[in-house]
Amino acid sequence: MFASIVSYGLAVGAVYALIGITYNVMFSASRVFSFTAGMLGMLGGVLGALFIAKMGLPAIVGLVLVLACGAVIGLVTELLTVRPVLKSIEQHLYVLSTLAFALMVQQLTAVEWGTEAQPFPRLIPIGPGWLDQQFWLPMLACAVTIVGLELLYRKTLIGRAFLAIAEDSYAARALGLPETQLRMASFALAGVIGTLAGFTGAEMLLAFFGNQSILNFYGFVPVALGGMGSNRGAVVGGLALGLFQQAANFLVGGIFAAVAVFAVFIIVLLLRPEGLAGASTARRV
Amino acid sequence: MTDTSAPAQPVRALSLARIEGALPWIALGLVGLLLPLLDDSYIGVIAQRAFIYWILSAGLNLVVGYAGQIAIGWVSMLTLGAYTTAALTAGTATPAWHPYLALVAGGAVGALFGVIVGLPALRLRTFYFAMTTLGFATIVTQVALAWKEVTGGGVGTPGPVFPWPFDPGWGFYYFCFILAALATWMTANLASSRFGRALVAIRDAEVAAEASGVAKPRLLVAVFLFAGALGGVAGGLFASLQSYITPDAFTFEMSVLFFIAILIGGRGSILGPALGTIVLTVLPEFAAPLVQWSTFLYAALLLLIVLIIPGGIADLLDYKNRRPLERHREIVPRPELLARVLDRRTGGEVLSLANVELSFGGVRAIAGLDLEIRPGEVHGLIGPNGSGKTTTLNVISGYYAPEAGQVRLGDAVLPPRAPHLRADYRIARTFQTPRLIGGASVLDNVMIGGTIDGQGSFAESLLTLPRHRRDEKRLREAAMLALAVVGLDQLAAVRADRLQHSELRFMEIARALMLRPACLMLDEPAAGLSADEIRRLGALIVAISRQGTAVLLVEHHADLIFDICDRVTVLNLGKVLAAGTPAEIRSHREVVSAYLGA
Amino acid sequence: MPISAPEPLLEISGLASGYGKIGVLRGIDLRVGVGEAVALLGPNGAGKTTLLRAVSGLLPRTGAIRFAGKDMAGASPRDTVQAGLVHVVEGHRVFTQLSVFDNLLLAGYGMTRDERATQVEEALAFFPDIAAKRQDRAGTLSGGQQQMLAVAQGLVRRPRLLMLDEPSAGLSPVLVDRVLAAVARLREGGTAVLLVEQLIEKALAVADRVYALARGSIVLEARTDEADLPNRLEHAYFGQDVNAPLSS
Repeated sequence: MFASIVSYGLAVGAVYALIGITYNVMFSASRVFSFTAGMLGMLGGVLGALFIAKMGLPAIVGLVLVLACGAVIGLVTELLTVRPVLKSIEQHLYVLSTLAFALMVQQLTAVEWGTEAQPFPRLIPIGPGWLDQQFWLPMLACAVTIVGLELLYRKTLIGRAFLAIAEDSYAARALGLPETQLRMASFALAGVIGTLAGFTGAEMLLAFFGNQSILNFYGFVPVALGGMGSNRGAVVGGLALGLFQQAANFLVGGIFAAVAVFAVFIIVLLLRPEGLAGASTARRV
Repeated sequence: MTDTSAPAQPVRALSLARIEGALPWIALGLVGLLLPLLDDSYIGVIAQRAFIYWILSAGLNLVVGYAGQIAIGWVSMLTLGAYTTAALTAGTATPAWHPYLALVAGGAVGALFGVIVGLPALRLRTFYFAMTTLGFATIVTQVALAWKEVTGGGVGTPGPVFPWPFDPGWGFYYFCFILAALATWMTANLASSRFGRALVAIRDAEVAAEASGVAKPRLLVAVFLFAGALGGVAGGLFASLQSYITPDAFTFEMSVLFFIAILIGGRGSILGPALGTIVLTVLPEFAAPLVQWSTFLYAALLLLIVLIIPGGIADLLDYKNRRPLERHREIVPRPELLARVLDRRTGGEVLSLANVELSFGGVRAIAGLDLEIRPGEVHGLIGPNGSGKTTTLNVISGYYAPEAGQVRLGDAVLPPRAPHLRADYRIARTFQTPRLIGGASVLDNVMIGGTIDGQGSFAESLLTLPRHRRDEKRLREAAMLALAVVGLDQLAAVRADRLQHSELRFMEIARALMLRPACLMLDEPAAGLSADEIRRLGALIVAISRQGTAVLLVEHHADLIFDICDRVTVLNLGKVLAAGTPAEIRSHREVVSAYLGA
Repeated sequence: MPISAPEPLLEISGLASGYGKIGVLRGIDLRVGVGEAVALLGPNGAGKTTLLRAVSGLLPRTGAIRFAGKDMAGASPRDTVQAGLVHVVEGHRVFTQLSVFDNLLLAGYGMTRDERATQVEEALAFFPDIAAKRQDRAGTLSGGQQQMLAVAQGLVRRPRLLMLDEPSAGLSPVLVDRVLAAVARLREGGTAVLLVEQLIEKALAVADRVYALARGSIVLEARTDEADLPNRLEHAYFGQDVNAPLSS
């Protein structure tokens, strides 16, 4: 039982972590919290099942297509729901515009794909047991994403430009960095990461339209607790959340797990609104 | 012109507008009252659903539309109220309760959780709060599914059946109708009270609300309590209407429906959201093939509204505020009315800073500052950028706590880090960038300034008891007078965001005068004003001080400072570089060179 | 205006700008010649920073702006930077999370790799203090070094006109001299400079010509070698001749 708690917990936690990173990537480029993070996760599973199980495409082609769709949806998110309301960011209209867009996609999925959770195909026949792909695939995806992002930020100019915009978009603009293009690139990247999370986690979570709100919330918890914009916080927080949830599920039952997560979330944020690891950054006007 | 009577005409125009505003409600009420005459139970059920949704939305409207808190998961209050009422009536957790008592308990549980879910709004950023309400809704549903002994889990539990006089059928219909009417009445009362104005002020101009003495935590808690209670009651009714409830009945989509109804209707309106709720409840009945797409369409509608008309329908219908204003307006203050605005019993005290020190991250912003602002005098505070002027204002206003030294008014030491308590000491201020409630009338904006002089409680305002009505009358008269003083009384009924920049500066002064300030702090009031306006502003400021008010004027405009100040203090690097009369300062070599940076 | 004028590089006429409803600048006419150093002075709140922001496209504006013969009316900050008009913003806002070297590389975003490398080295050569710390995170630099880095960022593009917003703010006198010496060297190298400064005497020492801004309008234009300048500046700062902008 211990092994299954750990393997299942870490796997779910990896999915949460990736959704958290999705929030971060969008936030860093635009200062916008977007409700589309959970939606991307949900779509990763549904589109994967559609391409591979329904349409019979090879797994790798299916994966590439899913990620491409994610990138396109990321771009649409930026164009449709973020850019128009960015001028008056203090009005927080993005909360509503991204929520509305996420709901539209969710309902479209519910109507076209169905409201029943559907199985996701097994891609790699190892297991069963804790070596099963459904456990290590999300963790692998998480590791690949972190290494990839680190390389992007440290080794490429465009990655540094992302960091620059995240730190001080005014100075970045004055320096002549193409803020709009970089923001679009960030949203496309977030689309890829979000759908990757959903794709790799789907054997466990199933291809289900209702995963959206669950991933939205549980993906946000590690980010909020770890500090917005901190990918390290998202990963540590996501894995811890996954483990805690599974342990509580097994040991004391689901109600307690859900209530406890929520209570911890609220209490921590009330005590430290900037998150456990986040520094209270003084804003330069 | 020495006519000292404030023009009363705009007040009359406002009460006319009130009667005009009541007409749609009378029409809605009549329809609701007479609907049973059709004797069509299908229509009856739809109408009951609309009433129930509106009971919840009416409360949520105060949270979302007025206070601007994006509570997207408010369906959880409906769920809690429904299960509480159902479970207590059925006696699954306790001995069975009487249905009416159980409904009251549903409201109480809603109120309790309304506050619990609302608390984070006091500290968290918008999106975080939106997410906590969403998370709460998810968790309530999960608990409802899992707590089988009480809720019946996925199988569900029967809803309460209310006995006579509100037994199922038209009796229950009238029950819902009455409660909906009551909810409307109470929220309308509250919205037009000083609490309603304060809510909008928190949304649009939080700093100004604070400076006017609005206590945000207490107010928001009261509103969350009320909105939660309405949600809980709506839940109890909903359970009865459904006759059998399962967790599936409370989807997140319902939350979206409530939310969109409010946004379609428009922020800061009650009629708009009410119409929105009715339309969104009734519409799916006429478009049966579209039912599975309804959430999609609602969401699309939400997106369109946010992108195209963030003000909602209420803005589109606000024809009065599209009437063009006169283009070449002149602000003609009437300082002769000041004596009627300012109450001299509160003046006459010296505001003093003694040896105040404050540094930010090792940089000394203020280094041992002494300052004395005397009643009846205009005290100018000037200095180059970064010399500590704004920091000084912020220390007096209570945003920063000085590391050493004290700020006193008379003998009283002002508590640090308590900007919302400054109003109690009759310390008023204006802001570098005018802080206004764009969607509210100029009059409402000014009335915010008198918030602390209201005596009625939140509950008294809900029920529009006599004390509330007296408060309103007094505040309105005082605000009209203050507007007449600054020369804006003709614009009292106009939306504040239609004013020119210079008019907003004078409006802020009117708002500050509502406090009958012992000390008035003006933060660059001349910025953006024409030469003519600056002259009038100067005369007004002098007149205010001559009524016994201590005026602190932070200004870059050297002409104005030297013209009207009785005393000038020059700051440099957080210290007093020079202090004296304007003439002394003007010829002070060090001041000149500090300005010229040599 | 018989100032022996070099060929105009930046020409602004009738410029107005502000923040939302609040108009800050109106009717600004200003000119900077090729290779000329111009100081832009004025009291607090006069609109100096706003003017630089409006010129570089960071703020919306109306009026005519021509740079090197090109119409820049609708130009974005990116356009102006690419045209060779670079704005070093106030408050040495470098990217503290990135290394000094990366900060400079970013300033050359969009250039070819080789060009960028050469330009970064050239910019670093101007400031030996920070060249030695090229691998350090910019957040570890002192305020003066950050300001030098910010100016160096501006140089990477090899601009024809460099607009500097209060490069001396918050620096010790020694560092101020260093930064302003760099400005003087730039000017000798043929780069035009538009310098916003609080330290009037130091700014005048560097500049050929001076504009004074008060309450959103240009109230004085003069050569820095004019004898009566301090007096006229004092008047411009403290009012009195506000309504009679000098036209001779």
